[in-house]
Amino acid sequence: MSQTDTAETAENAETAATATNRTDSHGVSTTAGETVEETRPEWTSYEAGGETKLAVDDLDVHYGDDHALKGVSMDVPERSVTALIGPSGCGKSTFLRCLNRMNDRIRAASVDGTVEVDGENIYQDGVDLVELRKRVGMVFQSPNPFPKSIRENVSYGPRKHGDIETGLLAKLTGRAEPDREEALVERSLQRAALWDEVNDRLEDNALGLSGGQQQRLCIARCLAVDPEVILMDEPASALDPIATSKIEDLIEDLARDYTVVVVTHSMQQAARVSDQTAVFLTGGELVEYDDTEKIFENPESQRVEDYISGKFG
Amino acid sequence: MSRATQTALVRDDRTLYEAAAGTAVGLAGVAFAAGLAALLGVVAIDDPVVGFELSVVFGAVLLALGVAVVGFGMASRLGYVDAAPQPSAGIVAAAAFTGIWVAVGAIVSGAVGLGTGGRLGVGVVSGGIAFAATALPREDIGSTVPAGTVTVLCGLSLVTGVVGPGWEQVLVGYNATLFGDTVVPAIVLFASLVSGWSAAKAYGGFGARGRNVGAYVLIYLVVCSILAVLVGLVAFVTVKGLPGLFNGFGVGSAALISWPFLTNGAGLLADIAGVFPALVGTVWLVIGAVLFAVPTGVGAAVFLSEYAEQGRFTAAVEVATNGLWSTPSIVFGLFGAAFLIPRFGNQKSLIAGMLTLGFMLLPLVLITSREAILAVPDEYRDASAALGVSKWQTIRSVVLPAAIPGVTTGVILGVGRIAGETAPILLTMGGGVLPAKSAAPDVLGSFQLSASPPFVSNPALLEATSALPYQLYALITAGLSGNIQNPQEYAWGLALTLLLVVLAFYAIGIATRYYFRRKLHQ
Repeated sequence: MSQTDTAETAENAETAATATNRTDSHGVSTTAGETVEETRPEWTSYEAGGETKLAVDDLDVHYGDDHALKGVSMDVPERSVTALIGPSGCGKSTFLRCLNRMNDRIRAASVDGTVEVDGENIYQDGVDLVELRKRVGMVFQSPNPFPKSIRENVSYGPRKHGDIETGLLAKLTGRAEPDREEALVERSLQRAALWDEVNDRLEDNALGLSGGQQQRLCIARCLAVDPEVILMDEPASALDPIATSKIEDLIEDLARDYTVVVVTHSMQQAARVSDQTAVFLTGGELVEYDDTEKIFENPESQRVEDYISGKFG
Repeated sequence: MSRATQTALVRDDRTLYEAAAGTAVGLAGVAFAAGLAALLGVVAIDDPVVGFELSVVFGAVLLALGVAVVGFGMASRLGYVDAAPQPSAGIVAAAAFTGIWVAVGAIVSGAVGLGTGGRLGVGVVSGGIAFAATALPREDIGSTVPAGTVTVLCGLSLVTGVVGPGWEQVLVGYNATLFGDTVVPAIVLFASLVSGWSAAKAYGGFGARGRNVGAYVLIYLVVCSILAVLVGLVAFVTVKGLPGLFNGFGVGSAALISWPFLTNGAGLLADIAGVFPALVGTVWLVIGAVLFAVPTGVGAAVFLSEYAEQGRFTAAVEVATNGLWSTPSIVFGLFGAAFLIPRFGNQKSLIAGMLTLGFMLLPLVLITSREAILAVPDEYRDASAALGVSKWQTIRSVVLPAAIPGVTTGVILGVGRIAGETAPILLTMGGGVLPAKSAAPDVLGSFQLSASPPFVSNPALLEATSALPYQLYALITAGLSGNIQNPQEYAWGLALTLLLVVLAFYAIGIATRYYFRRKLHQ
């Protein structure tokens, strides 16, 4: 950030401070960081270059009476990293889970609106969830490998989908493909930058790996089913700085072949890895969605600026 | 009342006082162990030890312990030692010593011939004094003097021979007699426990540290006694059963190992009577029950925890299964007799027994499997769903493997219960008191195919079969007589065999659980 920018920020801070304790004309009392500000549609109507991979239109999510996501619309371009940032409870993880319908697994959740993957709405009747989740994979906040060997973790998805046959019956009928499995495991682990660390102990239990290795194993497991989109829900929040930087490098690398959407609490991480950034603020609103540089250097919204400069959230 | 002295933060040298108190704790521990041995009959109380009867030696030890404990308290109270006693020994200790001294007062006054009223009076008075002596003075007196005096009294009664070998007391109105060889060990156990606790407090210098050490010694001694009872029980059955079990045992000759007790029947043709038919019957019984209960129980648990909506229905099922698990086994037996037997050839049969025990095992397998499945982290399910894997495949390849150790634990516990169950098989399986070798069920060899329904039949499953607990029960009710040479030895051998069979099933279960745990976690 240049010096003039800093000065500007300080000025804005002053404005915000004066706004803090006054009561506006509608009689709504404002508190620190919650300036009353209308969200303008043009702030989120960012048109990224390239093909649109995911198109979200007017997405609303309710958990029972709780309105978790309010009319979110955004387009995610292909082969890029899109960061979702915002304070806790702003609905960014909810939004992420809508993109591969993981919210279906929560009983109380109801979703309105459309999410299109390659132009096909995934919230319509007759959507094959298995196929959807094969195409839109997910990596979770805390590393969650299965209590199985490293090899079995990676080949789990393809095996269960019947892409690779390994069982006893397959062996008896001569349809087992150990070489293909071997190649797939190696390719996935290499893509997840884990192969060099584990190639001599593929039969060991995955729970014996370190946290950062476990998370990269989860990414490898996700890559093994050959998805087109990878959703990551704060993939580095449970990891130390070194493991985090490995994951960040990996995310940048993956964006050459995959469409990556990553939820993060760390502004620096968003700034480092993403091409475009969407800022969600309290109340489940998408406030601003733009080029990452634009968001961090010169956001349109005062609230986004406050959030990014650390005044609240 | 002032605190005696300031205690140092680091105490590197052991004082004479601590050494003496530590020795007293050790002595109390030895007395406690010897008392247990005497109670379990390992040693007799009239055995000579260094020229005296054991009970007199016990008395002398207790006397010394009691005097020492009072001495520790006095030394601390008079300020000769570095201790940190609190103002009072506390209400719990006071209540305990009140109870002890009410009993002591009543017993002593009864022994000198007072009537009921007199005993009550003396008991209440001595209890009151003990309460005052424990609660009112400083902790070092309150927790040593009442304990020490009661130990001295116990010691005196043994040294003087008031209670000793040959002593007996008829309990009026109870139709029972107390004998010296139970009462003397009981006195020793009690007095060494009390004085051990007191000496341990002195060792810790009273106060918070002293209470800590005292509680530790008390708990340690009680745990040891519980373990001793368990070990004693197994040892008792083993010692009694070994002669029968190894009757005619030999290595070499015709077969590699000849073990007639386990390989013979009890018919007239067998030179050494054995338990082979009942042994095989018990093994098949357990296998049948497990084969029935585990798939159904695990299946029901999967449905209840993965598919069913959590709510009233699952809560009702839970209450019902808990109730079934605590249902008395004779009720299961009656159900088997009234419901199963008419459906399987109208006679007691192996399969009726298997199913009855399977019904008994089912609720425990269901309960523990459900717990185990619910304990599998949701992250595994999420991870699997996010890879596009269907629910059933997730359950089969992630949830159930992670739940296996828990399920196995349930099966182990259940098998331990059903393998020794007598009442249900008495009503459903029957079998002879002393079955010949030919009566052993040959389940594997008896399958028959036929051209008409039911196509497969197995006469061995439909015959009355003996099992170890049932045979033991039948032998005892038949009066331990019959066509065998030494029925007493035979019955104890049978009991030991049953114990070993149950332990063997345990071992199999524990090995299985260990195997799957290892597979999951390293």
